[in-house]
Amino acid sequence: MTELLQNLIDGLGRGSIYALLALGVAVIFGVMHLLNFAHGELITVSGYVAFWTISEGWSWYLVTPVIIGTAIVTSLVIERVAFSRVRGSSDFTLLLTSFGVHFVVSAIFLLYVSASVKTFSEPGWVANTFPVGSLNIEVYDAVVIGVTLVTLLATSWLIQRTMFGLALRAAAADFDTARLMGVRSDTVIRGAFALSGLLAGIAGVFWLMRSGHTTPTVGITPMLKGVLAALIGGLGSLRGAVLGGIVLGLAEVLLRSRLPDSVASLTEGFVFLMIALLFIFRPQGLIRVAHAERV
Amino acid sequence: MAEPRGPNAAHAGMFPNLRRDVAFPIVGVGLLFGVFVAVGLLYQNSFGGAGERLVTTAMINAIIVLGIQIYVGNTGVLSFGHIGFGAIAGYTFAIFAIAPAEKIKRIPDAPLGLTDVDMGSWGAVGVAIAVTVVVAVFVGIGLARSGAESGAVAATVITLALLFVTHEVARHWPELTGGERAGLSFRIGGKLDTRVPIYLALAGALVLARLFAQSRRGRLAKAGREDDLAARAMGVNPMVQQMIALLTSVAVVSVGASLKVYETGSLLPEDFFFFFTLLTLTMLIVGGRNSVTGALFGVAVITVGRELARRMGQDGFEVFGLGLDSEPLDWIFRENLQTVFLGVAMLGFMIWRPKGLLSDWEFDDWLYRRFTRTQSAPPVPQATMSDENEARLEVSNVSVVFGGFQALSQSGFEVSSGEVVGIIGPNGAGKTTMLNVITGLVPATSGQVRLNGKELIGTPSHEVARAGLVRTFQNLRLFGSLTVRENVEVTRLVAIAEHDDRSTPETDVLVAAAGLWDHRDRRASELDYGNSRRLELARAAAARPLFLLLDEPTSGMSDTESLAMVEQVQTMAALVGAGVVVIDHDLDFIIGICDRIYCLDRGSVIASGTPVEIQADPAVQAAYLGSSAS
Repeated sequence: MTELLQNLIDGLGRGSIYALLALGVAVIFGVMHLLNFAHGELITVSGYVAFWTISEGWSWYLVTPVIIGTAIVTSLVIERVAFSRVRGSSDFTLLLTSFGVHFVVSAIFLLYVSASVKTFSEPGWVANTFPVGSLNIEVYDAVVIGVTLVTLLATSWLIQRTMFGLALRAAAADFDTARLMGVRSDTVIRGAFALSGLLAGIAGVFWLMRSGHTTPTVGITPMLKGVLAALIGGLGSLRGAVLGGIVLGLAEVLLRSRLPDSVASLTEGFVFLMIALLFIFRPQGLIRVAHAERV
Repeated sequence: MAEPRGPNAAHAGMFPNLRRDVAFPIVGVGLLFGVFVAVGLLYQNSFGGAGERLVTTAMINAIIVLGIQIYVGNTGVLSFGHIGFGAIAGYTFAIFAIAPAEKIKRIPDAPLGLTDVDMGSWGAVGVAIAVTVVVAVFVGIGLARSGAESGAVAATVITLALLFVTHEVARHWPELTGGERAGLSFRIGGKLDTRVPIYLALAGALVLARLFAQSRRGRLAKAGREDDLAARAMGVNPMVQQMIALLTSVAVVSVGASLKVYETGSLLPEDFFFFFTLLTLTMLIVGGRNSVTGALFGVAVITVGRELARRMGQDGFEVFGLGLDSEPLDWIFRENLQTVFLGVAMLGFMIWRPKGLLSDWEFDDWLYRRFTRTQSAPPVPQATMSDENEARLEVSNVSVVFGGFQALSQSGFEVSSGEVVGIIGPNGAGKTTMLNVITGLVPATSGQVRLNGKELIGTPSHEVARAGLVRTFQNLRLFGSLTVRENVEVTRLVAIAEHDDRSTPETDVLVAAAGLWDHRDRRASELDYGNSRRLELARAAAARPLFLLLDEPTSGMSDTESLAMVEQVQTMAALVGAGVVVIDHDLDFIIGICDRIYCLDRGSVIASGTPVEIQADPAVQAAYLGSSAS
């Protein structure tokens, strides 16, 4: 029982980060029908910024806003340089464009920094734990879960209660009609990328705090988690993306602790397999998004 | 048993036209192969040992890229997983090919006693193909379940997951794969002693890729690529074509992967992962993913470009020996420039030329057009079909509810062969919903659709079409990048397979009858509105339906065009011996063409009868003109 509770909290912590990443993927999919394989690049870029600033002796309290800002700016720059040029293209083109962005960004770091791993120190409190009853809760997990909760509430308010949120929802439901109704496509798409960058930035801070290193390809894993979680939830559904992230985090932690030692290292493989099976039996993900094609 | 078959029976085989689809492709592919190899030999003679290695690698990459093209090009589904299949094939090949004495050093505890297996290289290739194809069957079922169609997002993510699963297994199952650092290495010969197996495999991959594209299966797959829903409505089941494309494609990739492993002499998880996926996909995209010629061309272009980038990364402009000063560009000429080159190539092509350098141009197709005299006069439509197939379509008590909205309530109509029946009604009356129910696109809440007494409710779209009900679409769903002829031919291929005992009009006859003879070799996407509508009609007729279901065939047409359409619909129906159900809100058109008319309003049939009766009916006038007329 204790072990299960412990797993649930670990999984919730991990799942929170995935949820933030997935939400960013889902927001962009909503307005552009683009599944963003370059989402992890926001963390790659942030990772190098963290490396440079921390080696200059900055504290994590200063680095955190810088990382979030970097992720937002990077997101907007990528939109301007690449995605704005393929708006309205076929899904095939959109998919490969984001794949291309991923490679260009990681190749630039390969070219100008190097392929080697750059490490930086994590904040001292990351590994600390505090006891609650018979449980040992990591400060890190508690902070992640708390911050994610606040972020999700704020995002929900933004989407449900503001003009921008209304435009975003309208654009996600029917982009062309939304434009005809006076929604500015540039504003809503850039807004979506900024929001996606913000969410990735927050997730990135936590990701980098834990991992303490960066490489040109460090973004692949978070990208994959975000994309998969968004799909598990049902692409286009923001609630689904959050749910998908939590489910993915819990599944990973529970599998890893339950699998026999000999195959525990294959956890990731099992998770992918389960996701493939989920798509086979429930292709639309956990939450179905009404999407009627007119014939 | 030699049943007498119709004059087109020979065409019902794998290839619609032996000269165009087999002879010319083989000649064309042979020439391409010759040029590719000749350029390679020329290059390696000028650059020696390093050049030789580069050319060998390029040829092996070409085999793998051609394999990917068979799936991605013909189905339009973007796969990141083919290199994952490559990994499965590569490891299988290595495990079965390495001599036990070598294996004991690397993987002494391999499961299933694989350490002691000694198959030799040829046997190992066979096992690699078999294992990979079996995996592909399961992945293919998953793709089909996920609703794979051109550009489908879920399908792409499934293939990406496959790439990661194979990578994870390769990394974390060292007993089988030698793990992340040690990997598998062996000396069956180190490098191949001769390039003959590579030449053979490359030639084979080229022929297979090209013949698949021209075959009946390939053509049906391409129809699905262009428009999944329209393909189903014409009787094509894209799932079947996708599976066949996937298995063929994976078999070719397996051969290429085995050769890659043999040639490299070692195997690490990284060899078949993200970077190789980027490399092969860039080659395919840059050349033109829909074209075999393009795929080969892309391999050449990217190989040269990447090599140039690699050397300029080291030596700047000195590569060209022109004495140019490369110092101002030192910030670009750095190590790893080649990786940037690949990423930029993929991104640039996606932004500025997403269909690649050659789009869907094929060398042998060009040869065929050049060296074949085309008939210049349009063929005269032959006398009408003898109308033996008496058929009757009965639609009764159909209701459809969308959420809380009753789109159809207890509606229906009847039509027999030789008749033209019209369904009219104002916008939102439920006319298109009626067609969607009949053709299996929208599930009915209740009701019956019977064709010659056989219930069709619940039958999948493509089977409804094969049973004899083929439709056109109000919002035009042509196979855009196929030519006018190909649009008609694809549906005709389905018809021939279904009714090979009946004669089906030739493609050219149908094209001419639709008044599209002058546009026969143009792409459907280039046609203007009126011609697109006529092509929809010809394409539906080519399926040899018992009933043609026309959804607003004159919408957006001028009065004169509408009149011409009346004649074309009648000609076409007579040509294939089909009854017609036509939906429109253009009263003049409907009255000009129909024997009987049903009037729908707010989901219910409010009147039915001859055109004269309908015109006089007060309820119809009310529905059309508003309550003041009642």
